[in-house]
Amino acid sequence: MTPDEIAENFARLRAAGERLKRRPIGEVLDALGAVLDAWRDPRSHWHRDLIERLPAATGFSAPTVAEGLRRALEGWTGDALRKLAIRELGPIEALDTAADRRVSGFETTAVLLAGSLPMPSLLALIAPLAVRSPVLAKCASRDPLTPHLVAQSIAEADDELGRCIRVADFPAADEGCTQALLEADCIWATGSDATIAAVQSQVKPPRRLVADGHRFSIAAVAAPESAAHRADLARRLAVDVALWDQLGCLSPIEVFVADPDPSHAAALGEALALALADAERNWPRGSIDASAAHAIAQQRAEAEVRRAAGRAVAIHLSDSTAWTVIVEDGIAPRPAPLHRFVRVVPVPDREQLLAALEPVGAQLAAVAVEGFGEESERLARALAELGASRVCAPGSLQSPPLDWRHGGRGVLAPLVRFADIEPLR
Amino acid sequence: MSADPRRARIDHRVLEWMRESRWSYGEERFEALALELFAFQFAHCEIYRRYCEGRGQTPEKVETWRQIPAVPTSAFKEVELRCFPAECTEHRFRTSGTSTDVRGTLHLDTLELYEASLLPTFRRFVFPEFLMPEDRAAIRVLAPSNVEQPDSSLSHMFAVVLDALGEPGSDFDVEHGKLQFDRVLTVLVESAASEVPIALCGTAFALVHLIDHMNERGVLIGLPSASRIMETGGFKGRSREVPRNELYAEIKRVLGVPAERIVNQYGMTELGSQFYDSVIRAPSEPRRKLGPPWARVVIVDPETGHEAATGQVGSIVVVDLANTGSVLSLRTGDLGRAVLDGFEVIGREPGAEARGCSIGADEILDLESP
Repeated sequence: MTPDEIAENFARLRAAGERLKRRPIGEVLDALGAVLDAWRDPRSHWHRDLIERLPAATGFSAPTVAEGLRRALEGWTGDALRKLAIRELGPIEALDTAADRRVSGFETTAVLLAGSLPMPSLLALIAPLAVRSPVLAKCASRDPLTPHLVAQSIAEADDELGRCIRVADFPAADEGCTQALLEADCIWATGSDATIAAVQSQVKPPRRLVADGHRFSIAAVAAPESAAHRADLARRLAVDVALWDQLGCLSPIEVFVADPDPSHAAALGEALALALADAERNWPRGSIDASAAHAIAQQRAEAEVRRAAGRAVAIHLSDSTAWTVIVEDGIAPRPAPLHRFVRVVPVPDREQLLAALEPVGAQLAAVAVEGFGEESERLARALAELGASRVCAPGSLQSPPLDWRHGGRGVLAPLVRFADIEPLR
Repeated sequence: MSADPRRARIDHRVLEWMRESRWSYGEERFEALALELFAFQFAHCEIYRRYCEGRGQTPEKVETWRQIPAVPTSAFKEVELRCFPAECTEHRFRTSGTSTDVRGTLHLDTLELYEASLLPTFRRFVFPEFLMPEDRAAIRVLAPSNVEQPDSSLSHMFAVVLDALGEPGSDFDVEHGKLQFDRVLTVLVESAASEVPIALCGTAFALVHLIDHMNERGVLIGLPSASRIMETGGFKGRSREVPRNELYAEIKRVLGVPAERIVNQYGMTELGSQFYDSVIRAPSEPRRKLGPPWARVVIVDPETGHEAATGQVGSIVVVDLANTGSVLSLRTGDLGRAVLDGFEVIGREPGAEARGCSIGADEILDLESP
């Protein structure tokens, strides 16, 4: 796509958007709800298409995609979309009729996608339409498939909505196309801090910029009381680590075990290794490039050196680089190679856990918490204060509700302009 | 020379090789020395011994130098890897880094091998036309002196080079951490006017600073055609990041030195030997890194741990006989691929984009740096 073609697409989208604005928002939400329901249904051809074709495009294994979709989309229903709209925008009926407020989507929304996980693409294409803003999406180079399938599925469900969505393919380095895309009235950008900074420097008011930088998740657990509980916890943590090959911001990169006795962390590390080996059998990790394998091999070797130096480091690993569990002996920050590489970190207590997380709080996406009993609520509040926007149970990290306030903000609210109209004489 | 008689014998044989006027890349000679040195280090460095045992590798099992377990260079940040008693430490080289980085330390009980290795290698790849021991060149070094930074292996290397290969007046041009722009420019202008070629050596980020300074002042200098540049190191935290091809284009534009006269050195504190671009020595051949016969590189498939196929991208492992006092086999943090009889360093996978939305690898360390 060229810059001129992007401009032409925006012109067409604006025209289509005029008709979209006149539709009752409840009708639009119903149509998009039907799209979500279709994506969730494992028998739908969209769902099956994605499982069949995403591995070739992204490197994920088909079983990983299937299980990841099953868990991620289980709560993404048409009903959930309506509830999300009500929570963030107000009663649906009033959105079209209320005399005291206007809620308007932007004339155009541009979405810059990143990474290879399909759910963010699905949400990022549906959300602007849900607020009646036509959308032009730039595919991530790592996933040239999902946005096209989502756009087709919307067009199949609702011809008029289909005319309000376009998907652009161009290299990230194409500055002309990027600049043309950033001419939208609202820009939703996802990517690394460097990408976000580059976009921020180009988007000036009155354009709206909604930015999602990279984040990471962790788990914080108290020592399990029994071997059975430990195995169950490990199995659920392994699901959180294994799905999407640990590449999503909801994938835990470290499991903190709060207990004065570090042997509990060692035992959980051992159980987690067994569970990841099981996960590998059920949902094999996808292919990785030399750079990723190099990072894993490097971190494994560093841990071996620490162990050889007499440090209490335990290393559990697969024959290949498929999965790795390193039980550390301290909270020193270390690289996270991802691709199913998880560190288990003992901390003496809850306070030291929070102290360890304090420097990285702003980059926390979610924390899986278990085993703190009556202290759980206080810990959850403290984690939220640090920056986590989601606290949940281990095993459910990869099933975020549709209305999760990613990055601490809403899903639909950042994409609209609110206007309050006070009584006038 | 080491006080340990067994190691002194190894040192002696390695030094003999380094001092030969004609290089021979004999595989058998390297094999024998590498295996003997591995056995010595296995016996005298407890951490390394345990590391090897953890990998199921012992001198009895290792049959070729390619099987010698490689330690990641980053390990020098956390542990002391030396084969001599602490009280015998004569010198410590520390890795470079920003003020918030943890820096690695190489402990040395002798500098003899380090110095014996660096000079013939530097001469061969930066001044291949030097035939006589007394040949000299005008050299300016864009790095701090070894007096200012005694723990910098790079500064030490340049001091040895200046002493052995520099004409009178050759010197360091960084003082108290500042590049002496006026002095460097004066020397460069004189070189251009007198048509006496010059060798400009230093870190890549110092060259970026020099180019920025010249651009700010609108200064362009055409150095004599036999001039050359030797650059090394990265940019992180030191200057703006500049891709190497752009840096070389800028050097050509402001100094008149073409890419085929610019040699990148691949070396690191943890290594006793260095590798250099082949461009000056073999200008008609593909640019690749070449090193001395007593240091070998293997490209390892990080997935399998086995040697990578020709042309395949993999982890760079260096086996360096100059490292008699520490560990001879090191796994660098870099990716590379074999090219003819040498290799190229490609850093991270070219064009790699994060596959997900999670923070990975070193980003997490950047976050946690205050």
